Amino acid sequence: MADDTYVHPEVLVSTAWVQEHLKDPKVRIVESDEDLLLYPDKHIPGAVMIDWQGDLQDQLVRDYINAEKFAQICERAGITPDTTVVFYGDKANWWACYAFWAFTMFGHKDCRIMNGGRKLWEAEGRPMVRDVPQYPATNYTVGASDPSQIRAFRDDILAHVKAGRPLIDVRSTAEYTGEKLHMEDYPQEGALRGGHIPTAQSVPWSRAANDDGTFKSVKELRALYEQECGLKPHDDVVAYCRIGERSSHTWFVLKYLLGFPKVRNYDGSWTEWGNLVRAPIAKGPEPGSLAS
Amino acid sequence: MLEELPVPAALDALVDELNDADRQERIELLIDMAKGLPPLPERLAHFKDEAHRVPECMSPVFLFVELRAGQVALYADAPIEAPTVRGFVALLVEGLDGATVEEVLLVPHDLADRAGIREIVGMQRAAGLPGILRRLKAMVTRASISQPADAETERVSP
Repeated sequence: MADDTYVHPEVLVSTAWVQEHLKDPKVRIVESDEDLLLYPDKHIPGAVMIDWQGDLQDQLVRDYINAEKFAQICERAGITPDTTVVFYGDKANWWACYAFWAFTMFGHKDCRIMNGGRKLWEAEGRPMVRDVPQYPATNYTVGASDPSQIRAFRDDILAHVKAGRPLIDVRSTAEYTGEKLHMEDYPQEGALRGGHIPTAQSVPWSRAANDDGTFKSVKELRALYEQECGLKPHDDVVAYCRIGERSSHTWFVLKYLLGFPKVRNYDGSWTEWGNLVRAPIAKGPEPGSLAS
Repeated sequence: MLEELPVPAALDALVDELNDADRQERIELLIDMAKGLPPLPERLAHFKDEAHRVPECMSPVFLFVELRAGQVALYADAPIEAPTVRGFVALLVEGLDGATVEEVLLVPHDLADRAGIREIVGMQRAAGLPGILRRLKAMVTRASISQPADAETERVSP
């Protein structure tokens, strides 16, 4: 394996690649954003919007939609099981990674991320339009998948910690130490307790991203996660944040750019753990242990 | 919608306009409002610091309040890449510029709901907006306590 390339470079496409494939019928470009008004204002020509909240999450139970609804979303967006789906969005692709992760859970095979997201596309002065495209409806049959390979639940976390396996907390330092209960913009996504899951190491997601929204180089990522954090090449890793969106970004980095064999996103994250009765919590800058 | 409260006519009109619009029109109105937020005056642009930042908001939102003859002059900046927040800030600036201190303090905290913003962006995404209004009210209160005499003086000066 070359030292200077990502382990699975095919999952990442450049803005230039996307521009060359705007009219490619095998490619569907999907925007997923934090701010819902961005897409209606302007977007990459031909791109459809799929919203992590309104589309991919169940509106009643805290979970993802079922396979049938997922198929409907794909059919509406003109996506077939063979379509190359390229995700991009705001906030250095947080939600694009989240949508990528959700699509992967539903077994969609060919998912990519446009490196740099919306910010880089705009900065490069590439074309953007307001027209919302309409595609002929497809027939989408949801493929086989094993979500347990990429999604962790709270009971998995406890077992993971007891087994001494690595856990990465990707929130801001103040959230990790317990100084802050939630990102201040999201008062309803808070928790009753502050701190982190015992043994979790703090690596804020943003350390994997450059200022222009692109991912750091493989060398920088290795230095961060392998040297600084001590992850071993065959480690089974779990990442979490507050609701699972920032940790989707880290999940993508660890699984595809660095090629760790098993990486799961704990989407319950701190809004579940920090509210869970009797769940062990560590406070302060040290990872801590279960006993403490 | 807000007729029972002494809300400035400008804010009332904007809220009504948003409310009367259908979903698509409302999205476009908000986008246009976000785009129409006037740039900060040169004399304030240098003071985009923590003291003027809304700490409740993850997006860097800056608010400036001045009192002139008892009237609130409001200036603000919010990132162009966060149009929901910027649109809400623009609603406040356009709707409350020239209002009295009392009028600002009486603006209902569920303004984003009343303007139909929550209906468009959802509960989670609208959750941070009341924090901006709370911050604005705190700033207006502070300005009115520190400068009541100035306001009176200015009212009589030409």
